[in-house]
Amino acid sequence: MFVQLLFLLSASLTIGCAIAVAVTKNIMHSCIFLLGSLIGIAGLYATLGADFVAVTQIMVYVGGIVILMLFAVMLTGGKDFVSRAQNLLGLAPSMGNKWTYGVGLSVGLVFLLTNVKLILSISEYFPEKKFGNEFPSTVTQIGHLLVKDHVLAFELSSVLLLGALVGAAIIARPRKQ
Amino acid sequence: MSLTSYLLISLVLFVIGLVVMISRKNIVAILLGIELILNAAALNFVAYSRFVTNNLDGHVFSLFIIVVAAAEAAVGLAIVIRFFQIKETIHIDEATQLRN
Amino acid sequence: MNQTLVSYLSQYEFFDVLLSLFGKNEGLLAFTIYLVFAGIIVGLCATIGGLGTYAERKISADIQQRIGPNRVGPYGILQFLADGVKMITKEDIMPFTADKFLFYLAPMLALIGVFSTLAVLPWSNGFIMADLNVGIFYLIAISSLVGVSVFLGGYASNSKWSMLGGLRGASQIISYEIPVTISILSITLLAGGMSFGTILGQQEGAPVHWFLFHNPFAFIAFFVYFVGALAETNRAPFDLPEAESELVSGYHTEYTGMRFGFFALAEYIEVFVVCGVGSALFLGGGNLPFSTTFDIIPLQLVQVVIFMTKTLLLYYVVIWVRWTFPRLRVDQLMSICWKYLTPIAIFNLVGNAVWVVVFHGKSIAELLSGGH
Repeated sequence: MFVQLLFLLSASLTIGCAIAVAVTKNIMHSCIFLLGSLIGIAGLYATLGADFVAVTQIMVYVGGIVILMLFAVMLTGGKDFVSRAQNLLGLAPSMGNKWTYGVGLSVGLVFLLTNVKLILSISEYFPEKKFGNEFPSTVTQIGHLLVKDHVLAFELSSVLLLGALVGAAIIARPRKQ
Repeated sequence: MSLTSYLLISLVLFVIGLVVMISRKNIVAILLGIELILNAAALNFVAYSRFVTNNLDGHVFSLFIIVVAAAEAAVGLAIVIRFFQIKETIHIDEATQLRN
Repeated sequence: MNQTLVSYLSQYEFFDVLLSLFGKNEGLLAFTIYLVFAGIIVGLCATIGGLGTYAERKISADIQQRIGPNRVGPYGILQFLADGVKMITKEDIMPFTADKFLFYLAPMLALIGVFSTLAVLPWSNGFIMADLNVGIFYLIAISSLVGVSVFLGGYASNSKWSMLGGLRGASQIISYEIPVTISILSITLLAGGMSFGTILGQQEGAPVHWFLFHNPFAFIAFFVYFVGALAETNRAPFDLPEAESELVSGYHTEYTGMRFGFFALAEYIEVFVVCGVGSALFLGGGNLPFSTTFDIIPLQLVQVVIFMTKTLLLYYVVIWVRWTFPRLRVDQLMSICWKYLTPIAIFNLVGNAVWVVVFHGKSIAELLSGGH
């Protein structure tokens, strides 16, 4: 019963904050709503029994990426962001205008409608594996998988992170003009 | 609580991320949309791992998606900062240097 | 080694009595037990936060050879209640140009981040509210919310002092997360798991079994963890974001009354949690100096007392350090983290890993006693 309650809370938090990311005028508020959405997704991982992935999600996204976005907004003149390119018809500058929202919403709707039918019929392809209330811990198994089956991806991701670290530092360093 | 519900949530999240990416004009807002799309995909993997297969490959793949998203957000935001240093704005319509 | 409070209590007889009271509804009983214990823990920590302010004033007065608060109640011990009443009755001001939503959200995020870590704190070997298999990892992850709240508090106030304080505070917190996490990782390596039950189980018995004395690398890791944790909670010589003489009051300049109370309470409770984690990971937590075969509730209460003693000892050291050392400049702070603590922490992790491989995870005491 509590798993269902957690599922409902997390799902509503996720979708509500995601919609708020799309419609908020202020870019700082959008970042905070993204934070809420990511915490909701961590809750959804928890209902799936993926404890390690949920905690990694909170650690990496909340503790790292959202703060990174907030810093980037501050360093690029964030909330005073004014567009000089086109007439915005009353909407806030960071939002785009009616054309972009029209195109975006229609693309979204097309994508949604084509895939909803597919997803609703997915239960015929996979037999419903009813799971009980057992949530075995995943930490040891993920550890085994990472160093046995997926060791190549593990090592490559460390190289990727090194490359991203060095690249980001070089691209954004202050230049002597 | 079944597979379908998680897939629907992930689909809605993906569509909202798509709408954010297409319709907003601030580069950082576009990066927010990218994060939503990556999270929707990761949720999909974990849901399949729970309901269909018996192993934890989906969890491992979600971890790698999180890692890649972190690296890409860092580099993307570094590019945004460099863009701001050159153009003094982060409106996406100012990125026209490759246009003829 | 993975249990919750309810599953621990279910091995006693009175649990069945309670179960019959609730009409055999296990879920409802579990919820009620969690609710009662959450209330007890929150009340306890709020009192500790309040008494922490009193302890700070008294200890600082002792160090500076004055008396400190001694008017309200015997030895001034009710001073924190008077402070609380004062804070609640203050006017709730918000600057006109401040960002309303973020201004309201920042203190709440700080408190959410800190109180959520109380769920995995090991008060004793059995009284862990939720002994998650990713316990210590969860604690580090949730504490990152405080960093976001510091930044938001600084930004939303829309004033220069707050903005500077907020930027410095957020960068300090995210920088010092790295040596702290790597030190905790070394202990995870030694213990073989991230759950507090596993880590405490490895430290049973005499103090030679504590992870502090396990090997030289764990010894250094304790000090790296302690210094990093001081910096993470914006405490001690690292409190530039809230420095009184420099930035007025840093990121909580514009906050008055109970909102400021939220920030202050979050800081004091976070210091308590960090000291609690330090005593559980390195100093043996609530373990008794001898091992027993039976398990009764009063024994658990003794363990709680032992845990609180060790934690409050570390708390005293934190307060002591604050009034002894001068404040660090922001560039000194950053260079300590990136140039000194992080390489030392990585060296500790590698050293611990090598030790585990070479000596099969035995501590120095075991090697010495098993040698002859």
